[in-house]
Amino acid sequence: MSLDAIPIHVIDPPSAEPGLSGNAPPLLRELSELAKRLLASGETSAIDLSALPLTPADLAWLQDTLGAGEISVSLQANGESTLNETACPGIWWVTHRNEQGAVTSQFIEVAFVPELVKAHPEDVKNGQEYLELLISDL
Amino acid sequence: MQGPLIDTLARQGITRRTFLKYCATLASMMALPPAAGRAMAEAMAAARRPSVIWLPFQECTGCTESITRSHSPTLEGMIFDMISLDYQETLMAAAGHQAEEARHAAMKENAGKYLLVVDGSIPLGRDGAYSCIGGRSNVDILKEAAEGAAAIVAMGSCASYGGIPKANPNPTGAVSVSDIVTNKPIVNIPGCPPIPVVMTGVLAHYLTFGSLPELDEKGRPKAFFGETIHDRCYRRPFYDQGKFAKTFDDEGARMGWCLFELGCKGPVTYNACATVKWNGGTSWPVESGHGCLGCSEPDFWDAGGFYKALSVPADPLRIGAAAAIAGAGAGVAVSFANRAKKNVARQTHETLTVEDLEK
Repeated sequence: MSLDAIPIHVIDPPSAEPGLSGNAPPLLRELSELAKRLLASGETSAIDLSALPLTPADLAWLQDTLGAGEISVSLQANGESTLNETACPGIWWVTHRNEQGAVTSQFIEVAFVPELVKAHPEDVKNGQEYLELLISDL
Repeated sequence: MQGPLIDTLARQGITRRTFLKYCATLASMMALPPAAGRAMAEAMAAARRPSVIWLPFQECTGCTESITRSHSPTLEGMIFDMISLDYQETLMAAAGHQAEEARHAAMKENAGKYLLVVDGSIPLGRDGAYSCIGGRSNVDILKEAAEGAAAIVAMGSCASYGGIPKANPNPTGAVSVSDIVTNKPIVNIPGCPPIPVVMTGVLAHYLTFGSLPELDEKGRPKAFFGETIHDRCYRRPFYDQGKFAKTFDDEGARMGWCLFELGCKGPVTYNACATVKWNGGTSWPVESGHGCLGCSEPDFWDAGGFYKALSVPADPLRIGAAAAIAGAGAGVAVSFANRAKKNVARQTHETLTVEDLEK
Protein backbone atom coordinates (compact mmCIF):
# COMPACT_ATOMS: atom_id res chain seq x y z
CA MET A 1 0.00 0.00 0.00
CA SER A 2 1.43 3.35 -0.93
CA LEU A 3 1.28 6.36 1.32
CA ASP A 4 -1.12 8.01 -1.15
CA ALA A 5 -3.82 5.59 -0.08
CA ILE A 6 -3.95 7.26 3.31
CA PRO A 7 -5.95 10.45 3.07
CA ILE A 8 -3.57 12.89 4.69
CA HIS A 9 -5.01 16.33 5.19
CA VAL A 10 -2.35 18.99 5.33
CA ILE A 11 -3.27 22.19 7.06
CA ASP A 12 -1.81 25.42 5.75
CA PRO A 13 -0.19 27.41 8.50
CA PRO A 14 -2.61 30.08 9.67
CA SER A 15 -2.07 33.48 8.12
CA ALA A 16 -2.20 35.48 11.35
CA GLU A 17 0.56 34.97 13.88
CA PRO A 18 -0.23 31.65 15.51
CA GLY A 19 -0.99 31.34 19.15
CA LEU A 20 -0.67 34.99 20.13
CA SER A 21 -3.32 35.86 22.68
CA GLY A 22 -2.65 39.58 22.90
CA ASN A 23 -1.83 39.27 26.62
CA ALA A 24 1.89 39.94 26.27
CA PRO A 25 2.13 43.57 25.04
CA PRO A 26 0.53 45.11 28.19
CA LEU A 27 3.37 43.57 30.22
CA LEU A 28 5.79 46.00 28.59
CA ARG A 29 3.91 48.91 30.19
CA GLU A 30 3.98 47.17 33.55
CA LEU A 31 7.72 46.59 33.24
CA SER A 32 8.19 50.25 32.41
CA GLU A 33 6.35 51.20 35.62
CA LEU A 34 8.39 48.73 37.67
CA ALA A 35 11.63 50.10 36.20
CA LYS A 36 10.54 53.62 37.18
CA ARG A 37 9.89 52.37 40.70
CA LEU A 38 13.33 50.77 40.85
CA LEU A 39 14.93 54.06 39.86
CA ALA A 40 12.86 56.13 42.27
CA SER A 41 13.03 54.00 45.42
CA GLY A 42 15.39 51.10 44.68
CA GLU A 43 12.52 48.70 45.22
CA THR A 44 12.96 45.49 43.28
CA SER A 45 10.03 43.55 41.86
CA ALA A 46 9.22 40.54 39.76
CA ILE A 47 6.50 39.32 37.44
CA ASP A 48 5.64 35.65 37.76
CA LEU A 49 5.13 34.57 34.16
CA SER A 50 3.48 31.27 35.04
CA ALA A 51 0.78 33.16 36.92
CA LEU A 52 -0.40 34.83 33.72
CA PRO A 53 -2.43 33.37 30.85
CA LEU A 54 0.37 33.48 28.29
CA THR A 55 0.70 31.04 25.41
CA PRO A 56 4.11 29.69 24.40
CA ALA A 57 3.95 32.08 21.43
CA ASP A 58 3.30 35.01 23.79
CA LEU A 59 6.37 34.12 25.82
CA ALA A 60 8.48 33.82 22.69
CA TRP A 61 7.23 37.21 21.49
CA LEU A 62 7.95 38.80 24.85
CA GLN A 63 11.45 37.33 25.03
CA ASP A 64 12.11 38.37 21.45
CA THR A 65 10.84 41.89 21.99
CA LEU A 66 12.83 42.45 25.18
CA GLY A 67 15.93 41.17 23.42
CA ALA A 68 19.25 40.12 24.89
CA GLY A 69 21.49 42.34 26.99
CA GLU A 70 25.11 42.25 28.03
CA ILE A 71 24.97 39.86 30.96
CA SER A 72 23.80 36.28 31.13
CA VAL A 73 24.21 34.36 34.35
CA SER A 74 23.87 30.62 34.53
CA LEU A 75 23.37 28.96 37.89
CA GLN A 76 23.82 25.23 38.48
CA ALA A 77 21.60 24.52 41.46
CA ASN A 78 19.42 21.44 41.25
CA GLY A 79 19.08 21.96 37.51
CA GLU A 80 20.17 24.96 35.51
CA SER A 81 18.79 28.42 36.07
CA THR A 82 19.48 31.26 33.70
CA LEU A 83 19.29 34.91 34.69
CA ASN A 84 19.70 36.96 31.55
CA GLU A 85 19.63 40.69 31.33
CA THR A 86 17.43 41.88 28.51
CA ALA A 87 18.22 44.72 26.13
CA CYS A 88 16.71 46.95 28.83
CA PRO A 89 19.29 47.02 31.65
CA GLY A 90 17.75 46.15 35.02
CA ILE A 91 15.12 43.90 33.42
CA TRP A 92 16.14 40.27 33.87
CA TRP A 93 14.59 37.20 32.30
CA VAL A 94 14.87 34.46 34.92
CA THR A 95 14.20 30.82 34.05
CA HIS A 96 14.44 28.03 36.61
CA ARG A 97 14.80 24.48 35.32
CA ASN A 98 14.81 21.17 37.14
CA GLU A 99 17.44 18.47 36.69
CA GLN A 100 15.54 17.05 33.74
CA GLY A 101 15.75 20.41 32.03
CA ALA A 102 12.03 21.22 32.26
CA VAL A 103 11.10 24.79 33.15
CA THR A 104 9.74 24.92 36.72
CA SER A 105 9.16 28.65 36.99
CA GLN A 106 9.82 31.77 35.00
CA PHE A 107 10.03 35.37 36.15
CA ILE A 108 10.90 38.76 34.79
CA GLU A 109 12.82 40.48 37.55
CA VAL A 110 13.32 44.20 37.80
CA ALA A 111 16.47 44.75 39.85
CA PHE A 112 20.00 46.10 39.57
CA VAL A 113 21.21 42.56 40.38
CA PRO A 114 18.85 39.60 40.94
CA GLU A 115 18.78 38.40 44.55
CA LEU A 116 19.84 34.87 43.60
CA VAL A 117 23.11 36.05 42.08
CA LYS A 118 24.36 37.65 45.30
CA ALA A 119 26.36 35.45 47.65
CA HIS A 120 24.83 34.86 51.09
CA PRO A 121 27.00 36.20 53.97
CA GLU A 122 26.90 32.76 55.60
CA ASP A 123 28.29 31.22 52.41
CA VAL A 124 30.93 33.92 52.14
CA LYS A 125 31.94 33.06 55.71
CA ASN A 126 32.27 29.40 54.77
CA GLY A 127 34.34 30.35 51.75
CA GLN A 128 36.58 32.54 53.84
CA GLU A 129 37.14 29.68 56.31
CA TYR A 130 38.03 27.43 53.41
CA LEU A 131 40.53 30.03 52.22
CA GLU A 132 42.14 30.02 55.67
CA LEU A 133 42.40 26.24 55.38
CA LEU A 134 44.09 26.57 51.99
CA ILE A 135 46.52 29.13 53.39
CA SER A 136 47.42 26.97 56.38
CA ASP A 137 48.28 24.15 53.99
CA LEU A 138 50.73 26.28 52.04
CA MET B 1 18.74 32.25 56.38
CA GLN B 2 19.80 29.98 59.20
CA GLY B 3 18.42 27.05 61.17
CA PRO B 4 18.28 23.29 61.56
CA LEU B 5 16.74 22.62 58.16
CA ILE B 6 19.22 24.58 56.08
CA ASP B 7 22.05 22.97 58.06
CA THR B 8 20.64 19.50 57.31
CA LEU B 9 20.32 20.40 53.66
CA ALA B 10 23.82 21.85 53.55
CA ARG B 11 25.20 18.55 54.86
CA GLN B 12 23.52 16.87 51.90
CA GLY B 13 25.17 19.28 49.52
CA ILE B 14 22.10 21.44 48.93
CA THR B 15 23.18 25.05 48.76
CA ARG B 16 21.34 28.16 49.85
CA ARG B 17 20.84 29.19 46.26
CA THR B 18 19.24 25.82 45.46
CA PHE B 19 16.92 26.27 48.42
CA LEU B 20 16.08 29.85 47.43
CA LYS B 21 15.36 28.72 43.88
CA TYR B 22 13.14 25.95 45.21
CA CYS B 23 11.23 28.37 47.42
CA ALA B 24 10.80 30.83 44.55
CA THR B 25 9.25 28.07 42.46
CA LEU B 26 7.09 26.87 45.33
CA ALA B 27 5.84 30.40 45.98
CA SER B 28 5.03 30.74 42.29
CA MET B 29 3.06 27.50 42.39
CA MET B 30 1.22 28.64 45.50
CA ALA B 31 0.29 31.82 43.65
CA LEU B 32 2.07 33.89 46.28
CA PRO B 33 3.74 37.12 45.19
CA PRO B 34 7.33 36.57 43.98
CA ALA B 35 8.75 38.24 47.10
CA ALA B 36 7.14 35.59 49.32
CA GLY B 37 9.64 33.00 48.13
CA ARG B 38 12.37 34.63 50.15
CA ALA B 39 10.24 34.89 53.29
CA MET B 40 9.35 31.21 52.96
CA ALA B 41 13.01 30.28 52.58
CA GLU B 42 13.87 32.17 55.77
CA ALA B 43 11.12 30.57 57.81
CA MET B 44 11.48 27.04 56.49
CA ALA B 45 15.22 27.06 56.99
CA ALA B 46 14.57 27.51 60.70
CA ALA B 47 11.72 24.97 60.92
CA ARG B 48 11.79 21.82 63.03
CA ARG B 49 10.67 18.49 61.60
CA PRO B 50 7.09 17.65 62.54
CA SER B 51 6.01 14.03 62.94
CA VAL B 52 3.73 12.80 60.17
CA ILE B 53 1.55 9.71 60.28
CA TRP B 54 0.11 8.63 56.94
CA LEU B 55 -2.88 6.29 56.95
CA PRO B 56 -3.92 4.58 53.71
CA PHE B 57 -7.55 3.47 53.64
CA GLN B 58 -9.85 2.54 50.77
CA GLU B 59 -7.54 3.69 47.98
CA CYS B 60 -5.56 2.60 44.93
CA THR B 61 -2.14 3.92 46.10
CA GLY B 62 -2.31 6.44 43.25
CA CYS B 63 -1.90 9.31 45.70
CA THR B 64 1.27 7.79 47.14
CA GLU B 65 2.53 7.12 43.61
CA SER B 66 1.87 10.73 42.72
CA ILE B 67 3.91 12.02 45.64
CA THR B 68 6.79 9.57 45.53
CA ARG B 69 7.19 9.48 41.76
CA SER B 70 7.08 13.20 41.34
CA HIS B 71 9.37 14.72 38.77
CA SER B 72 12.20 15.99 40.88
CA PRO B 73 13.05 13.37 43.46
CA THR B 74 15.54 15.68 45.10
CA LEU B 75 13.03 18.50 45.49
CA GLU B 76 10.25 16.38 46.91
CA GLY B 77 12.94 14.54 48.82
CA MET B 78 13.75 17.86 50.43
CA ILE B 79 10.22 18.04 51.73
CA PHE B 80 10.44 14.53 53.09
CA ASP B 81 13.60 15.67 54.83
CA MET B 82 11.55 18.40 56.44
CA ILE B 83 9.15 15.96 58.06
CA SER B 84 9.59 12.84 60.09
CA LEU B 85 7.40 10.32 58.28
CA ASP B 86 6.78 7.88 61.12
CA TYR B 87 4.18 5.63 59.52
CA GLN B 88 3.40 4.95 55.87
CA GLU B 89 2.48 1.33 55.19
CA THR B 90 3.59 1.37 51.57
CA LEU B 91 6.90 3.12 52.06
CA MET B 92 8.09 1.95 55.46
CA ALA B 93 10.47 -0.96 55.85
CA ALA B 94 8.68 -2.35 58.89
CA ALA B 95 5.63 -4.57 58.44
CA GLY B 96 2.95 -6.24 60.51
CA HIS B 97 3.11 -5.73 64.26
CA GLN B 98 6.35 -3.75 63.99
CA ALA B 99 4.66 -1.20 61.73
CA GLU B 100 1.63 -0.89 63.99
CA GLU B 101 3.96 -0.43 66.96
CA ALA B 102 5.79 2.36 65.13
CA ARG B 103 2.47 4.12 64.64
CA HIS B 104 1.47 3.78 68.26
CA ALA B 105 4.89 4.98 69.42
CA ALA B 106 4.74 8.05 67.15
CA MET B 107 1.20 8.82 68.27
CA LYS B 108 2.19 8.61 71.93
CA GLU B 109 5.43 10.59 71.63
CA ASN B 110 3.92 13.40 69.58
CA ALA B 111 0.43 13.46 71.04
CA GLY B 112 -1.41 16.60 70.02
CA LYS B 113 1.38 17.66 67.68
CA TYR B 114 1.58 15.26 64.76
CA LEU B 115 0.19 15.83 61.31
CA LEU B 116 -2.14 13.09 60.13
CA VAL B 117 -2.26 12.39 56.39
CA VAL B 118 -5.07 10.18 55.11
CA ASP B 119 -5.53 8.83 51.63
CA GLY B 120 -8.53 6.76 50.60
CA SER B 121 -12.14 6.86 51.68
CA ILE B 122 -13.52 5.17 54.77
CA PRO B 123 -16.13 2.44 54.29
CA LEU B 124 -18.90 2.41 56.89
CA GLY B 125 -20.94 -0.48 55.46
CA ARG B 126 -21.03 -3.73 57.49
CA ASP B 127 -19.39 -1.99 60.44
CA GLY B 128 -16.42 -0.99 58.30
CA ALA B 129 -15.48 -4.59 57.48
CA TYR B 130 -14.77 -3.74 53.83
CA SER B 131 -11.34 -2.35 54.67
CA CYS B 132 -9.32 -3.41 57.70
CA ILE B 133 -5.68 -3.10 58.74
CA GLY B 134 -4.31 -5.49 61.35
CA GLY B 135 -7.84 -6.67 62.11
CA ARG B 136 -9.19 -3.19 62.81
CA SER B 137 -11.58 -1.22 60.63
CA ASN B 138 -10.46 2.00 58.92
CA VAL B 139 -13.03 4.08 60.76
CA ASP B 140 -11.74 2.76 64.08
CA ILE B 141 -8.11 3.53 63.22
CA LEU B 142 -8.99 6.99 61.89
CA LYS B 143 -10.88 7.98 65.02
CA GLU B 144 -8.00 6.86 67.21
CA ALA B 145 -5.32 8.61 65.14
CA ALA B 146 -7.37 11.81 64.75
CA GLU B 147 -7.64 12.16 68.51
CA GLY B 148 -4.00 13.22 68.97
CA ALA B 149 -3.47 14.98 65.63
CA ALA B 150 -2.76 18.71 65.38
CA ALA B 151 -4.34 18.73 61.94
CA ILE B 152 -5.43 16.31 59.25
CA VAL B 153 -4.55 16.36 55.56
CA ALA B 154 -7.05 14.47 53.39
CA MET B 155 -4.96 13.45 50.36
CA GLY B 156 -6.84 12.85 47.15
CA SER B 157 -10.49 12.92 46.15
CA CYS B 158 -11.34 9.74 48.10
CA ALA B 159 -10.20 11.05 51.47
CA SER B 160 -11.54 14.52 50.68
CA TYR B 161 -14.97 13.68 49.28
CA GLY B 162 -15.35 9.90 49.07
CA GLY B 163 -14.07 9.75 45.50
CA ILE B 164 -14.55 6.72 43.27
CA PRO B 165 -15.40 4.28 46.10
CA LYS B 166 -18.30 6.58 46.92
CA ALA B 167 -19.47 6.70 43.29
CA ASN B 168 -22.99 5.46 42.72
CA PRO B 169 -24.05 2.90 44.01
CA ASN B 170 -21.35 3.17 46.71
CA PRO B 171 -21.29 -0.55 47.61
CA THR B 172 -19.09 -0.13 50.69
CA GLY B 173 -20.80 2.91 52.16
CA ALA B 174 -17.66 5.01 51.63
CA VAL B 175 -17.40 8.45 53.23
CA SER B 176 -14.76 11.18 53.46
CA VAL B 177 -12.52 12.04 56.41
CA SER B 178 -14.56 15.14 57.21
CA ASP B 179 -17.71 13.01 57.45
CA ILE B 180 -16.16 11.25 60.44
CA VAL B 181 -13.80 13.73 62.09
CA THR B 182 -15.40 17.05 62.92
CA ASN B 183 -13.32 18.45 65.76
CA LYS B 184 -9.94 18.89 64.02
CA PRO B 185 -8.73 21.23 61.30
CA ILE B 186 -8.84 19.32 58.01
CA VAL B 187 -7.22 20.29 54.72
CA ASN B 188 -8.62 18.62 51.63
CA ILE B 189 -6.17 18.10 48.79
CA PRO B 190 -8.49 16.57 46.20
CA GLY B 191 -7.45 15.26 42.80
CA CYS B 192 -7.28 11.82 41.32
CA PRO B 193 -4.38 11.81 41.99
CA PRO B 194 -3.61 15.13 43.70
CA ILE B 195 -0.75 17.30 42.49
CA PRO B 196 2.40 16.53 44.53
CA VAL B 197 3.40 20.14 44.94
CA VAL B 198 0.07 20.95 46.60
CA MET B 199 1.02 18.49 49.32
CA THR B 200 4.49 19.98 49.67
CA GLY B 201 2.99 23.46 49.52
CA VAL B 202 0.65 22.69 52.42
CA LEU B 203 3.56 21.24 54.38
CA ALA B 204 5.72 24.25 53.53
CA HIS B 205 2.95 26.53 54.74
CA TYR B 206 2.60 24.54 57.96
CA LEU B 207 6.36 24.74 58.54
CA THR B 208 6.62 28.39 57.55
CA PHE B 209 3.67 29.85 59.39
CA GLY B 210 2.88 27.11 61.90
CA SER B 211 -0.69 26.95 60.65
CA LEU B 212 -2.68 25.49 57.81
CA PRO B 213 -3.16 27.62 54.70
CA GLU B 214 -6.38 29.50 54.06
CA LEU B 215 -9.12 27.15 52.86
CA ASP B 216 -12.12 27.56 50.60
CA GLU B 217 -15.64 26.39 51.45
CA LYS B 218 -14.77 22.86 50.34
CA GLY B 219 -11.77 22.71 52.68
CA ARG B 220 -9.17 23.14 49.92
CA PRO B 221 -6.13 25.44 50.14
CA LYS B 222 -7.07 28.60 48.27
CA ALA B 223 -3.53 29.02 46.99
CA PHE B 224 -3.94 26.04 44.68
CA PHE B 225 -7.70 25.82 44.35
CA GLY B 226 -8.54 29.51 44.22
CA GLU B 227 -9.16 29.58 40.50
CA THR B 228 -10.70 27.23 38.01
CA ILE B 229 -8.71 25.26 35.46
CA HIS B 230 -10.47 27.39 32.86
CA ASP B 231 -9.33 30.68 34.40
CA ARG B 232 -5.68 29.70 34.24
CA CYS B 233 -5.84 27.67 31.02
CA TYR B 234 -3.44 28.66 28.25
CA ARG B 235 -6.30 27.89 25.81
CA ARG B 236 -8.53 30.43 27.54
CA PRO B 237 -7.83 33.14 24.93
CA PHE B 238 -9.41 30.85 22.31
CA TYR B 239 -12.50 30.48 24.45
CA ASP B 240 -12.72 34.24 24.65
CA GLN B 241 -12.40 34.44 20.87
CA GLY B 242 -15.10 31.78 20.39
CA LYS B 243 -12.69 29.29 18.80
CA PHE B 244 -13.62 25.73 19.76
CA ALA B 245 -12.55 22.23 18.76
CA LYS B 246 -15.69 20.35 17.70
CA THR B 247 -14.18 16.87 17.59
CA PHE B 248 -10.89 15.42 18.80
CA ASP B 249 -9.40 15.39 15.30
CA ASP B 250 -10.73 18.46 13.54
CA GLU B 251 -8.77 21.54 12.57
CA GLY B 252 -9.72 23.29 15.78
CA ALA B 253 -8.23 20.43 17.80
CA ARG B 254 -5.03 20.60 15.74
CA MET B 255 -4.83 24.35 16.24
CA GLY B 256 -5.10 23.84 19.99
CA TRP B 257 -8.43 25.61 20.40
CA CYS B 258 -10.67 25.45 23.46
CA LEU B 259 -12.07 22.02 24.41
CA PHE B 260 -15.22 23.38 26.05
CA GLU B 261 -17.55 21.74 23.55
CA LEU B 262 -15.83 18.37 23.95
CA GLY B 263 -16.88 18.21 27.57
CA CYS B 264 -14.01 19.97 29.32
CA LYS B 265 -14.96 20.49 32.99
CA GLY B 266 -12.30 23.17 33.39
CA PRO B 267 -14.85 25.95 33.98
CA VAL B 268 -16.28 24.27 37.10
CA THR B 269 -13.11 22.59 38.39
CA TYR B 270 -10.84 24.22 40.92
CA ASN B 271 -7.28 22.92 40.70
CA ALA B 272 -3.76 23.99 39.75
CA CYS B 273 -3.05 21.66 36.78
CA ALA B 274 -3.00 24.55 34.32
CA THR B 275 -0.12 26.26 36.09
CA VAL B 276 1.75 23.46 37.85
CA LYS B 277 1.25 20.83 35.13
CA TRP B 278 2.16 17.14 35.42
CA ASN B 279 5.13 14.84 34.89
CA GLY B 280 7.77 17.36 35.72
CA GLY B 281 6.00 20.25 34.05
CA THR B 282 5.86 18.33 30.77
CA SER B 283 2.18 18.69 30.06
CA TRP B 284 -1.31 18.37 31.50
CA PRO B 285 -4.61 16.95 30.20
CA VAL B 286 -5.74 20.00 28.23
CA GLU B 287 -2.28 20.49 26.73
CA SER B 288 -2.43 16.85 25.61
CA GLY B 289 -5.68 17.62 23.80
CA HIS B 290 -8.23 16.20 26.26
CA GLY B 291 -10.68 18.15 28.34
CA CYS B 292 -10.52 18.28 32.13
CA LEU B 293 -12.50 15.52 33.88
CA GLY B 294 -12.99 17.56 37.01
CA CYS B 295 -11.33 14.93 39.23
CA SER B 296 -10.78 17.34 42.11
CA GLU B 297 -14.47 18.16 42.51
CA PRO B 298 -16.84 16.20 44.77
CA ASP B 299 -18.70 13.36 43.00
CA PHE B 300 -16.93 13.98 39.68
CA TRP B 301 -17.49 10.37 38.69
CA ASP B 302 -21.25 10.79 38.74
CA ALA B 303 -21.29 14.27 37.23
CA GLY B 304 -23.03 13.28 34.01
CA GLY B 305 -20.44 12.30 31.41
CA PHE B 306 -16.87 13.32 30.66
CA TYR B 307 -17.63 14.21 27.03
CA LYS B 308 -20.83 16.12 27.59
CA ALA B 309 -20.32 19.84 27.25
CA LEU B 310 -21.28 22.09 30.11
CA SER B 311 -24.33 23.90 28.84
CA VAL B 312 -23.47 27.42 29.93
CA PRO B 313 -20.38 29.58 29.65
CA ALA B 314 -17.84 29.43 32.41
CA ASP B 315 -18.73 32.15 34.80
CA PRO B 316 -22.44 32.61 35.50
CA LEU B 317 -21.72 36.03 36.97
CA ARG B 318 -20.36 37.24 33.68
CA ILE B 319 -22.91 35.39 31.61
CA GLY B 320 -23.90 38.43 29.52
CA ALA B 321 -20.45 39.23 28.19
CA ALA B 322 -19.39 35.63 27.71
CA ALA B 323 -22.59 34.62 25.94
CA ALA B 324 -22.09 37.35 23.35
CA ILE B 325 -18.71 35.89 22.43
CA ALA B 326 -19.58 32.24 22.77
CA GLY B 327 -22.97 32.60 21.12
CA ALA B 328 -21.76 31.36 17.77
CA GLY B 329 -20.12 28.23 19.11
CA ALA B 330 -20.82 27.14 22.65
CA GLY B 331 -23.98 25.38 23.63
CA VAL B 332 -25.87 28.27 25.09
CA ALA B 333 -29.20 26.54 24.60
CA VAL B 334 -30.04 26.69 28.24
CA SER B 335 -33.58 25.92 29.22
CA PHE B 336 -35.58 28.83 30.52
CA ALA B 337 -36.21 27.16 33.85
CA ASN B 338 -32.52 26.51 34.34
CA ARG B 339 -31.70 30.12 33.59
CA ALA B 340 -34.17 31.13 36.26
CA LYS B 341 -32.38 28.89 38.72
CA LYS B 342 -29.08 30.49 37.86
CA ASN B 343 -30.56 33.91 38.45
CA VAL B 344 -31.68 32.78 41.87
CA ALA B 345 -28.27 31.29 42.53
CA ARG B 346 -26.59 34.51 41.52
CA GLN B 347 -28.75 36.47 43.92
CA THR B 348 -28.21 34.09 46.81
CA HIS B 349 -24.56 33.32 45.99
CA GLU B 350 -25.47 29.64 45.94
CA THR B 351 -22.73 27.50 44.43
CA LEU B 352 -23.66 25.88 41.15
CA THR B 353 -22.77 22.25 40.64
CA VAL B 354 -21.94 20.42 37.45
CA GLU B 355 -25.38 18.80 37.58
CA ASP B 356 -27.11 22.18 37.59
CA LEU B 357 -25.18 23.25 34.53
CA GLU B 358 -25.85 20.09 32.56
CA LYS B 359 -29.61 20.19 32.94
